Amino acid sequence: MRTFLLTAASAVALSVAVAAGPSGAFAADWSLETAAAPYKGTEINVIFLDRPGYRAIIKLLPEFEKQTGIKVNYEIVPYESTREKEVLNFTSGGDLTVALVDLVWIGEFAENGWILPIDKFTGDAAITDPNLNLKGFFPLLLDAFGSWGGVTYGLPFDNYSGLLFYNSCMLKDAGFDKPPATWDEVMTVYGPKLTDASKNQYAYALQSRRGETQSADSFMRFLWPFGGSLLDKDFKSNLNSPESQAGLQFRQDLAKYMPPGIVSFDHAEAVNALAQGQVAMITEWSAFYSTLNDPATSKIVDCLAVAPEPEGPAGRLPALGGFSLAVAAQGTEEQQKASWLFIQWATSEDIARDYVEAGGVSGRMAIYEEPDIKATYKFVDPMVASWQKGVPEFRPRFPSWPAISEVVAEWGTKMQLGETSISDGAKEIGTRMEEILKQDGYYDGSKKLLQ
Amino acid sequence: MSAASPTPSKPAGRLNPGYGRWTPALFLAPAVLALLVIGIYPTIFALVTSFRRYNITRPRDGFPFIGIENYQKVLSDQTFWDTLGLTFRFFLTVMPFQIFLGIVIALLLHKPGLGLVRTLARVSLVVPLATTYAVVGLIGRLVFNGNFGVANQMLGWFGIPGFDWLATTNGAFAAIAIMDIWQWTPFCALIFLAGLSMVPVEVEEAARLETSSKVALLRHVQLPYLLPGLTAVLILRSADVLKLFDMIFTMTRGGPGTATELISIYIQRVGFRVFDMGTASAQAILLLILTIMLSRLYIRVFYREIQ
Repeated sequence: MRTFLLTAASAVALSVAVAAGPSGAFAADWSLETAAAPYKGTEINVIFLDRPGYRAIIKLLPEFEKQTGIKVNYEIVPYESTREKEVLNFTSGGDLTVALVDLVWIGEFAENGWILPIDKFTGDAAITDPNLNLKGFFPLLLDAFGSWGGVTYGLPFDNYSGLLFYNSCMLKDAGFDKPPATWDEVMTVYGPKLTDASKNQYAYALQSRRGETQSADSFMRFLWPFGGSLLDKDFKSNLNSPESQAGLQFRQDLAKYMPPGIVSFDHAEAVNALAQGQVAMITEWSAFYSTLNDPATSKIVDCLAVAPEPEGPAGRLPALGGFSLAVAAQGTEEQQKASWLFIQWATSEDIARDYVEAGGVSGRMAIYEEPDIKATYKFVDPMVASWQKGVPEFRPRFPSWPAISEVVAEWGTKMQLGETSISDGAKEIGTRMEEILKQDGYYDGSKKLLQ
Repeated sequence: MSAASPTPSKPAGRLNPGYGRWTPALFLAPAVLALLVIGIYPTIFALVTSFRRYNITRPRDGFPFIGIENYQKVLSDQTFWDTLGLTFRFFLTVMPFQIFLGIVIALLLHKPGLGLVRTLARVSLVVPLATTYAVVGLIGRLVFNGNFGVANQMLGWFGIPGFDWLATTNGAFAAIAIMDIWQWTPFCALIFLAGLSMVPVEVEEAARLETSSKVALLRHVQLPYLLPGLTAVLILRSADVLKLFDMIFTMTRGGPGTATELISIYIQRVGFRVFDMGTASAQAILLLILTIMLSRLYIRVFYREIQ
């Protein structure tokens, strides 16, 4: 009996300790310095983009390196070359130890085993911050940017929501005291009043340059709010459905309120058109707030205002985009653990304030509750509102997307140029897209219909 | 006699103590090795890959041999032919300008006198050549910007309204052609200048006494000396246009639509966006064959004329 009681007591004690996990047993003792001590001197490698979120973390890096002794080597690469660089690096056994994962690459990276699920590390209390608090991330972000097939691989790092940035002074001059709430208003009310081609002034600019900008920012933006989508539930093209056609036709019709040559506009051109007062409104990623709010790059700092993207007939389904950081499978055990420490730190609640103040957009909910942050950063409220409801598959996140994106980029710009009709262009994209999906095994049952 | 015969060989031996039958091979070895690593191995790898299914984003598919399936796919791919057609259109657009302007510049620089100006002009010809392609593309984006570009300002001097070059099909094509002409005309000029300096002075002087027509002088005396240079220009530029990538990618990314999608941009899309290395290799091998055929054609047509 005594033995039984002892065994039972030990079992209970053990289960309590396990259940408490790192937060119970190690919370008091855990510190980044101690956790990183075995990895002092380890070098980890990552690719960064030339965007505000990366400039922000670069500013904070010396602090991490000082605390941990881990050296973070980063290379700044243009977005359009990032996937190419990473894929070649992973397939040739290169040196990257941290993967920068755009939400549309997560399927490809995860299915090929190039990135590791975080549960490989979260089980190890020595290297996992008891305040990791995965529930502190916006659920939409953790789901869309970091997870694939129900498994979490990455933590949301550079987070975007599509927002309506507008020049409140221009709107006021035209007699509007608030931004448009629906796309219909943009077309019928705001567009005509804010456009004066003779003065080279336009209501709206939609970045539509060929590439991911065309497919993600321009084409897809007008499918979802109009009730359309790229694929139906059987993964066949849904582009010729009345809803998708209505959205694409709307984009075409809206062109009369945009500057000429919109198909040559990339992010920089669209942001600049607003910053220089040429257009009154743009729908851009939240990350561009710091560029638009900087007097060195923007003439409209005092007039800058931000709102959620307008609603379509199917509601407000704004563009969703962003990057997570994941541990690359190719690193050594030491590098993997050092990389995990870096990823936790870069996305942690602890540095969320510093990160936001340095120009980044954190994926943590708590920071946007702070009154001073809300007051200083005008984008916070609309962005938080946008992240409450969204479509993780705004762009499908499966491995076939990069090939499909190329097709959409080509035929999407052809539609805008009038080289093909909306319906013929949609058919062409549909045929080519289904060809790609067929090759990838989505129609013969060999692959799950995950997006 | 017996004492005399070893004498000449002895000093030679002393002068070149390490010289043996392998010495030339050793001198050649670094170059051959570099060529093997940089040129021959990748070409053979591309050839092998072109007969296999190889998508590096699908490692589970392996690297199976599929015969000529990739070649069949490429030859029946309408986009391949469209982009190849556009590449030839581009070549036929830029070459006449480059050859004509190159000859004009070379003739101006060939004129006697103006020593310092000539030297300066020659040196400045190298500047566009030395500019990285990607930078040329970035300069192009600024020059042809619809709002503040220099191109529209220049049109304005002649009362022509500006437009957004890079957003229209013909404008974007014209813009990449103009940037290519800007970059490569100096190269043609330098090659032709070298050709002109080969004309024997006495022949040229004699011809000047015979005729005062500069056209006749060019046609009958100088042109034959320009033909080897012209052949070189055509061979190099053909290969160059077929692989022209950086400038266009930074300037237009092949757009708008497919207005500037030359064959190299398309191959890059297949190879490094879709990562279908098998198909991209087949495309590259076909281009290699095309380049060799064109080179043979130029040599046959122009060299025969010289002989």
